[in-house]
Amino acid sequence: MFGRIEGPYDVVVVGGGPAGLAAALGARESGAERCLILDREPEPGGILNQCIHAGFGLHYFREELTGPEYAERFITKVIDGEIDLAPDTYVSGVSVDSDGTKWVRVLSERFGLKHVRTKAVVLAMGCRERTRGAIRIPGFRPAGVLTAGLAQKMVNMRGYLPGRRVAILGSGDIGLIMARRLTLEGCEVVGVFELMPYSNGLTRNVVQCLDDFGIPLHLSTTVACIHGRERVEGVTVAPVDGHFRAQMAQARTLACDTLLLSIGLIPENELSQSLGLRLDVVTGGPLVSSTLETSMPGLFACGNVLHVHDLVDFVTAESLLAGRFAGEWAQGVRRPADNISLVPGDNVRYCVPHTLSPEREHTIYLRCKEAMKPCRIRVGDLMEKRLRFVVPAEMIMVKIKPDLLARFHGDTLRVDLVPDAGAVED
Amino acid sequence: MYDVAIIGGGVVGCAIARQLAHYRVRTVLLEKQAEVAFGTTKTNSGIIHAGHHSTPDTLKGSLVVSGGDAFDRLCEDLHFGFRRIGELVVAQSAEEIPVIEELFSRGRSKGIHDLEMWDAQRLRREEPNLSHHLCAALFAPRAGVVNPYEFAFALIENAVANGVELRVDSPVVAISDGEDGGLCLHLGDGGAGGPMGGRVEARFVLNCAGVYADRIAALAGVQDFEILPRKGEEYMLDKRLKGLVRRLVFPVPTPASKGILIIPTFDGTLMVGPTAFDTDDREDLATTDLGADTVFDFVSQLCPSITRRDTIAEFAGLRAVSSSNDFIIGPTSRRGFINVAGIQSPGLTASPAIATLVCEILRSEGLVLEERGDFTPRVTGPVRFASLDVKEQQRLAAEDLRFGRVVCRCEMVTEGEIHHAIDHGARTLDGVKFRTRAGMGRCQGGFCTVRCMDILAQRLGLRLEEVTKRGSSSWIVVPRRSPAAVTHPSSSPQTLAED
Amino acid sequence: MAEQSHFVCIGCPIGCPLQLTHEGKEIIEVSGQECNRGAKYAAQEFTDPRRVLTTTVAVEGGRWERLPVKVSAPLLKTQLFAALAVIHEVVVTAPVEQGQVLVRDILGEAGLHVVATRSMPQQGK
Repeated sequence: MFGRIEGPYDVVVVGGGPAGLAAALGARESGAERCLILDREPEPGGILNQCIHAGFGLHYFREELTGPEYAERFITKVIDGEIDLAPDTYVSGVSVDSDGTKWVRVLSERFGLKHVRTKAVVLAMGCRERTRGAIRIPGFRPAGVLTAGLAQKMVNMRGYLPGRRVAILGSGDIGLIMARRLTLEGCEVVGVFELMPYSNGLTRNVVQCLDDFGIPLHLSTTVACIHGRERVEGVTVAPVDGHFRAQMAQARTLACDTLLLSIGLIPENELSQSLGLRLDVVTGGPLVSSTLETSMPGLFACGNVLHVHDLVDFVTAESLLAGRFAGEWAQGVRRPADNISLVPGDNVRYCVPHTLSPEREHTIYLRCKEAMKPCRIRVGDLMEKRLRFVVPAEMIMVKIKPDLLARFHGDTLRVDLVPDAGAVED
Repeated sequence: MYDVAIIGGGVVGCAIARQLAHYRVRTVLLEKQAEVAFGTTKTNSGIIHAGHHSTPDTLKGSLVVSGGDAFDRLCEDLHFGFRRIGELVVAQSAEEIPVIEELFSRGRSKGIHDLEMWDAQRLRREEPNLSHHLCAALFAPRAGVVNPYEFAFALIENAVANGVELRVDSPVVAISDGEDGGLCLHLGDGGAGGPMGGRVEARFVLNCAGVYADRIAALAGVQDFEILPRKGEEYMLDKRLKGLVRRLVFPVPTPASKGILIIPTFDGTLMVGPTAFDTDDREDLATTDLGADTVFDFVSQLCPSITRRDTIAEFAGLRAVSSSNDFIIGPTSRRGFINVAGIQSPGLTASPAIATLVCEILRSEGLVLEERGDFTPRVTGPVRFASLDVKEQQRLAAEDLRFGRVVCRCEMVTEGEIHHAIDHGARTLDGVKFRTRAGMGRCQGGFCTVRCMDILAQRLGLRLEEVTKRGSSSWIVVPRRSPAAVTHPSSSPQTLAED
Repeated sequence: MAEQSHFVCIGCPIGCPLQLTHEGKEIIEVSGQECNRGAKYAAQEFTDPRRVLTTTVAVEGGRWERLPVKVSAPLLKTQLFAALAVIHEVVVTAPVEQGQVLVRDILGEAGLHVVATRSMPQQGK
C-alpha cells in the first residue's frame, strides 16, 4: 500500500531506490508477509529518477533501459507484491530491544514522529557525493560550485541549468553524463579535468559524452583555484606530477561560470555510524557477513550504502539477496555464523562480503587498486581465473560455489589480483 | 529624519542597534549586503574571550571583560547558542612558560580571578588528545563559544521587534549635510551598482562599517585612520572528530595575533585557524594552499590526530585592523559622525560593552536617551529540531506538519525551521544556512539545496533563478534556453580561453 | 586515396584505439583491436554511428515540471540536435503513462518516436 505505515512489520527497508525496492521484493519472496519501504523523497526510485539516460538493465533485463524505466519495473512489482511504501518519510534512528525487536523512528508530514516495530531492517540508503571541502580547492566560495549529482537533479527534475559555461572536475561517470546532458541543453562545457592519468568512467561514456561533442578530457590535471567572489568566473587548472601536486608553472585559467564536481561517492553512512555498526574503513560501508547481515543481528545492508557500485544490475542482485536473508531472519531462521574471513590481498582495494560460509554460494564483489592487463584473480588456493583487463572504475564480480569452500579448512581466504604470467607491463 | 543611522550590520552594528532599541530613539541600520552579518561577522571564530590577552591600557583590553560578562544574560534573553567551554593557552616548551605566567598576572590584574595554571600532568589528564610535549597551560574557565552570525541575527531581530528599522542591500555611497542640521546618507543600489537607492537623514551617524570604516569616514571628510585588513583562513573539520578536544586551545600569542587555534564550535564540530595575513585587497576572501599548510602544520603540533584530510569546509574572513591597532570609538570633527571602527579581536566579546560605550558617547554628544517603557528584551529562539528530545520532536511534528518534513538530511533540519528562518529575515540560501544549519553537513547542500531554494522562492515571491546564495550576483541557476537557441558545439576541440 | 579514421572501442574496459582505413565510403581494414568486437564496432561507427537520445520535455499539471523521454530507436549522431530542436518544443499535459508515444515519426522518419520513460501523475495525486 502506498503511503501507509501500519506495523508491526517483518522487514523494514530504509531507502526506496533500486537497492531498497529489490530488498523488499527479496524479503517478500522469502515469505516475509509484512514489509515496508521508507523513502525520504516524494516518490520511490532513488537516484534513478534523475538518471534519465540509458544504459541500465543490460545484465538484469537484457534490455537497455533508462533509469526511470528500470525503477518503474521494480516499483510496479513492489505495489503488486503488497509491500507497503511510505514516501516523504525520514528515518531518524533505529533502536533495538533486548529480544531483538527493532524500532525504526520515522518522521513524516503525514504521521509526525512515529516508532515502527519490525523484526529485521535492511539499510539501503545509497550514497552521497564528495564535496569541495573533501578535496580542499583553495579560492573563493562563489555560487556555481556544485556536485554533478545536484546539477543533474536541477536539470532533469526541474528544468534549470546550473550555469551556461561549465568546467567539470572528475571524470567519473556522473561528470561525463552531465557533460553530455548540459551540452544537449545548450551549455558550453569547456572541459573535463581528471586528477588521475586515466578516466574514472566507462570508455563508452568518454566516447559518447565527450568525444561526440568535442569536449576535451584533460588527464593528470586538477583545478588549483576557483575565481569569482559572488559567482564563479573561472577556474585555474594545472597538470599534476606523480604525487598529484599541481605544477603551477604550467597552470592556465579558463573562463567559466560553473564548476561541477564529480570526484567520488561515499556510502550514506550516518545511520550506520549512529547505530555503532562495525564499518569497513575502505568502503565506508558496514562490515557484512555472507548473508549481508551487519554487526547488528537482524540488520542487513545492500546497494551503495554497503559499497559503491557501478551497475544498478549488481545492486539489484545484491539487494534481492539481502532482502531474502532479512525476510528469513524475520521468520526465525538463524544460520550458523560464517567461519571464513575474506580479506583483500595484492592489488585488491576491498572485497564484499567480509566473511563466507561453506553452506552457500557467494557472489563476491571487489575492486582493484591499479589497472592490470591481463591478470589473474586468485581466491586463496581454491580458484584462479584469467581476466583480460581490470580497472578500479569497474567492479569485479566472482561467484564462489559451496563445493569450493567445502575443501577449505582455514579461517582466512585472501583474494589477489596478480599479473598474468608473460603479460606485457602496461 | 532619524536620530541615529548605523552604517554596517555586523555584530557591532547589531549590538548597538539593540542597545539603542531600549530608548525612545528613531534608529535605522543600513547594511550593504543582502543580510546582516554577511561580512566579517559571518567568518568570525566565535570566541568569547576571557580577557587575559589584551592589556587594560587599550580600548580593546578595557572593554573585553565587561563585554564577555554580558553574554550569560544576553543568551538568556536572546536564545542564541553560547557555552563557556573554557580556554587553554598552552606552552610548547619551558621558554614559553613565563609568557603564559605573564598572561595569568595580566588577567588577574584585570579582575579575572578564576584563571588557573596547569602543569603537564593536569593537562594530559584533562585533554588527553593534545600533544604530550606540551608542558604547561593557562586555563581560563570563562572563555566561551558562540556562532557569531546567530548572535548577530538574534540582536537585530530583537532590535527590530523593538522599533529599529533595518534596511539591507543599502550601501552608503556619499555623505552630505542634512537639511535639518544632521547628516544625509546617500544610498547606492545594493544589487549591481545601479542608480541611487535613496537617502537617509540622521542627526547621528555611527560608522560601524568594518573593513570599509576608513572609506566611510572619508565620505564624511574625517578620515584620520586606515583600515589594514588582515585575512584569516579557517578550516572546519569532520564531525567524527567531535570531542577530540574539549576546550579552546591557544598557543602562546604573538604581537600580530592570538595565533592558530583549535576551536570546538558551539555546534561541537572542531575548527582550526585562523591565519593572519595582511592584505591590501578588501575583498580577498580566498583560502589558499599556503594558508592550509600553515594551519595544519601548526595545529598538528598541538594535536597530532588532526590532519588536513579531516577538512569538510574552509573559508576566510578579513579582520578590520586599524592603523592604531586598537578600536577607534568616538566622535570626530564632523558633528554627529561617530566612529566605531577598527573592531578586531576581541571585538565580538567586547560588542555588548561597545554598545554601552557608544550610547554614552551619544548621550554626551547631545542625544537624549529616554528609556522606553515597553522594551521587550526577549526573543523566542529558533527551533532546533535535531536537538530536541524525541518526545518534544513528536509533539512539535504533530502540532505543525512542517516540522514533519526533513529538508536537510545531514543535520536533520525540518521545513518548519526553514520557514522560521525566512520569517526572521533569511532572504538567501546562505541566510537559511546560517540560521538553520541546512547545507552545513557532510553533503554540503547536495540534497537540500533545491528544496531550500524552492521554499525561498515561494515565500519571497521569486523565480528560482532569482534566488541567490548570498545576494547581489550570486545566482544559483538559470532557466533553460528556448529550443531555437541550442546549436551543436563545434566539432573541433574547445580552445582554452585565457583569462 | 586511402584515408584513416580513428575510434576508441567501447566494448570492454580496455578501450582499444582503432584505426579504420577507407577509400571514400569503402572500408579497407581495421587495425588496433584485440578482439573481433573492435572491427565490428569501428565499421558500425564509420558507416552508421547511432546514439540513444534521452532528454526531458515540459509537462504541465504534473508532479514534476519535466518529463524524461527517449527517442524510440537510436539516431544517427548527426541527427541529435535536429531531433532536440523538435523534442524541446513539446509540452505534454499530465497524466502521462510510461511508454506513451508523445510525438510520432520525428525528422520525417517512420518509427522514430518520442516516448515517455516514466509515468507522470497529476500534481497532488
